[in-house]
Amino acid sequence: MNRFPDNRPADQDNDALRYGVVIRPPVYRLDARAFVCSQLLHVDREALASEGITVVTDGNFVGVVAASHEAARQAAARLPLRWSTPDRDRTTTSPTVAEQRLRRDYQWPGRLGWGAAPDWVIADFIDGGLRLDGPVANSERLRRELACLLESDPQRIHVDGDAEAGLGRQGSDDAAADAALLARAVGRPVAVRLDPDPYARDAGALARARRMRVSGTADGDDFRVDDDLGYVSVPPLALWLTGRLTDGLLSDPDAAALQFTFVQESFLDEVAAALGEDPVALRLRHIKDPRGKQLLSSVADQAGWGKPVEDDGRADLVRGRGVAYSHRPSSSGDAGSGTRSAWIADVEVNTVTGGVRLSRLVAGQDAGADGPLSPLLDAKPLSDTLERKLLGLPATPPSADDWAAPGDRQLPARQTSVPPAPPRPAGTPAATDPVDLSPAVAVVANALYDATGVRFRSPPFSPARVRAALQQQSRPGKRRWWWGGAVAVAGLLATLWPWRPSIAPVARPAANLYSAETLERGRLVAEAGDCAVCHTAEGGTVNLGGRPFETPFGTLYSTNLTPDPDTGIGNWSYAAFERAMREGIGRDGRHLYPAFPYTDFAKISDADMQALYGYLMAQPAVAAPAPQNDLRFPFNIRSMMAGWNFLFHDPSPFKPDPTRSAQWNRGAYLFEGAGHCGACHTPRNLFGAEKGGDARLAGALVDGWEAPALTADSRAPAGWTEQSLFEYLRTGRSELHGVAGGPMAPVVAGLAELPEDDVRAIAHYVATQMDAPLSDPARAERAAAVVTASQVEPVGQEAGQRVFEGACAACHENGTATFTSAKQALALNTNLHSQRPDNVIQSILGGVHAEGVAGTGEMPAFAHSLSDRQIVDLVQYLRARFAPGETPWKEVGKTVADLRREHDQQ
Amino acid sequence: MNQELHLTVNGERCAVRAAPSTPLLYVLRNDLCLNGPKFGCGLGECGACMVLVEGRAARACVLPVSAVADRRITTLEGLADGDRPDPVQQAFIDEQGAQCGYCLNGMIMTVRGLLNDNPAPDRDALVAALDHNLCRCGTHQEILAAACRAAGLSDQGEPS
Repeated sequence: MNRFPDNRPADQDNDALRYGVVIRPPVYRLDARAFVCSQLLHVDREALASEGITVVTDGNFVGVVAASHEAARQAAARLPLRWSTPDRDRTTTSPTVAEQRLRRDYQWPGRLGWGAAPDWVIADFIDGGLRLDGPVANSERLRRELACLLESDPQRIHVDGDAEAGLGRQGSDDAAADAALLARAVGRPVAVRLDPDPYARDAGALARARRMRVSGTADGDDFRVDDDLGYVSVPPLALWLTGRLTDGLLSDPDAAALQFTFVQESFLDEVAAALGEDPVALRLRHIKDPRGKQLLSSVADQAGWGKPVEDDGRADLVRGRGVAYSHRPSSSGDAGSGTRSAWIADVEVNTVTGGVRLSRLVAGQDAGADGPLSPLLDAKPLSDTLERKLLGLPATPPSADDWAAPGDRQLPARQTSVPPAPPRPAGTPAATDPVDLSPAVAVVANALYDATGVRFRSPPFSPARVRAALQQQSRPGKRRWWWGGAVAVAGLLATLWPWRPSIAPVARPAANLYSAETLERGRLVAEAGDCAVCHTAEGGTVNLGGRPFETPFGTLYSTNLTPDPDTGIGNWSYAAFERAMREGIGRDGRHLYPAFPYTDFAKISDADMQALYGYLMAQPAVAAPAPQNDLRFPFNIRSMMAGWNFLFHDPSPFKPDPTRSAQWNRGAYLFEGAGHCGACHTPRNLFGAEKGGDARLAGALVDGWEAPALTADSRAPAGWTEQSLFEYLRTGRSELHGVAGGPMAPVVAGLAELPEDDVRAIAHYVATQMDAPLSDPARAERAAAVVTASQVEPVGQEAGQRVFEGACAACHENGTATFTSAKQALALNTNLHSQRPDNVIQSILGGVHAEGVAGTGEMPAFAHSLSDRQIVDLVQYLRARFAPGETPWKEVGKTVADLRREHDQQ
Repeated sequence: MNQELHLTVNGERCAVRAAPSTPLLYVLRNDLCLNGPKFGCGLGECGACMVLVEGRAARACVLPVSAVADRRITTLEGLADGDRPDPVQQAFIDEQGAQCGYCLNGMIMTVRGLLNDNPAPDRDALVAALDHNLCRCGTHQEILAAACRAAGLSDQGEPS
């Protein structure tokens, strides 16, 4: 039987590719042997047909296919669906075991991770066969599973990915099955993106696929795996959702051996740790087979077991060494035969990022009477495989403070645009791997324990999981409630108590203390936080301070942020730095003013904070005392800030919203934390604290500039979309808006340093604050109407018109566009539609200097060539002509005079 | 802070040291001794400083040098083909389209920029293009006649 579609028409080849997005049930999970899943009750398959969206359903499998990934994503979000609520959890109780035995529970997840992010899997039916492109493991097992899903022949399925490494499964298998189902339904090639949603959700749903309990005597001489709940091999979710799963697909002898060895060897390692015995010695005592003993001793000698792990003194790395041994009996079952493997691995764990590196692997294998002795295997490909599959994979959606690698979200060069190679001839065996991988997972788990003291009882050891485990470990244990209460009261008193202790000065950390990755991470945090913007005076050296800040309470100056011990932060310990960033208390115990946005920086994660400290301390130290602040009484009494902090400062860490996507949370973390966007865009109350409620992000005046509203009240005439916000944040201008000027220009320059996905995340978060759509086809029309309306000269504005003709029209009238013409029409500029003229006047007086924004011309400053009267006329004219629907601005003359005074002072 | 910047001016690569925000006009006149483009208002209003960037007219006094580092710049000096003046230059000679000549660079470069974009403009398009190039001597009639000649139009704006 072959249910594959016939060849698709050849003429579609170039633009045949479609994009698929699957919709998973609201509830689905595999808990040991129970697959719990909502049932699809109803779907309106025709709801989006008019937009060219195909809805594909099969049992509880639902997907949409569209001409672009964006369109498919939007369609998936809008598709009307009804699901049932599944039955309540079935709780499985494990049989009780005798109490005197040592007992440990282990888990093996159905997916080690959701895949290399971001990447694509493309399914295409060609010549009656299925071809899969992308990071899909090429295994006979997957081909059998897909054949079962598609009710066809495994020989007709060709997978273009790497050969299977046999350590565990990834979300790309699920994506492959999804793409195949969608491609068959629409009769065209379909690309599915390895996004955290749904594939990280899938990994989470399958995280408890297999549970194992080991119990044994305290010396480990006698132990057994008591419980063996769940499935060794978990086929792609599409098989579970469509109900096409057959029992034959649930077993896998290689996976079973790997999982059993992981449990056995981890358990023995735990026994060794409990006894204080050397793990190799314990195993040698334990192994009865002489050839196995000999192999382990020889590998231990080679690896220099007992000698300390190499250490170059880097502070953020911890190192450890682990051992694992396995003996897989041969099919004959003879005692003296079978494959024995002994592996010893060294790992380096970055305690800040949670990243794990295999610094060395020594592996030996002996096939006994059945085969050759390989005392030392080639460890390089093995350790590469381990790093790729066990250590680097994202097991969970990226946490909010993960710094994505700079990359772009475009589909990679399309392999399907060239005619694909014919499927492999039937009957060609897959390349067999002579190396038995059984000890691979256990050896890493044991080395990790040696390095960190944390026992990982379930793979994978991805950075997010390792970091979470390390943080868990460093947290103090449970306290009694009264103790907690006492701490809370003491904390409150300490907050209200106006004098805080100074933190002892320390020597500046050595230059090589922090790794290159940590310093790079710190640089990105600093760029996201725009430290240098405030801590650099006009035309001065970066981070040397001295920039004045006019506040309603007087003038403040930023301070020296270089690691100079006397005038900078060179003798600040991390504790002092963190206290300043989170609580607004300087090293010497003095309160800082909230012009320094510690109210936002409190949300920065520990890992980012440490990286930032490392980065700042690694910069060159320059001596530069900060100018004296000029604050009016009583605001010059710093201790008053204790009460302010009590009233207005929330030092709690950032909490991701679990109901939102990973992208939203990432955006929120950057926006609310390091980015401190609200510091400018939220109006402040009488005490200089950000207002809450409806006033949040409602726009405010800062440094003589208006930071516009980032809410649904935005005055942008064409309206913002997520896409235009991204363009604006990434490039400093957006087609239907103005350019980033004033204090926003350096913000854009900082954002240009961040990975693109991070800027997209910020745009996504801002778009949700503004209720802005992802894209909006009606915008261009609206914008064109606004521009057309502005062609009419207003009546009674002749004085302003003359100034405009002379000073502005050469660039701002688009009669004949030149290279220096303004790229955005004035009629679309939000500032001309605002309630206040401040930004327009600022731009005229000081010009628009988008330094660091590539390809942008400069608007010159007219402060010295136009009089106040001329500027007032011009501003009124601009308002009347380019925002004809708005009321004229009031008190423009006073604002011009005030702002000019500030310009003259600079 | 000065940086080393590489420019391509009139077909030649050259390196200059300048702050990235320096107006292109200053670099052309002071560092490269190309005095075809003139300093007029310094505010992008008069057009005396016109050059071509990628063949399009640009006001060099408001253009930061860093914004054109990777682009092809042509000044009045680079317009002629050896000893043979550019047709626009020749038209200005033929019509004697100058009085003091200070605005002349801008007039010629603007017409050249327009013709690069639109090889057969009508008279209205020429007027619109030159609308924001100022001439203080009152030579507008001769300048327009020269522009029309360069565009292959008669003085009255008819194709000749």
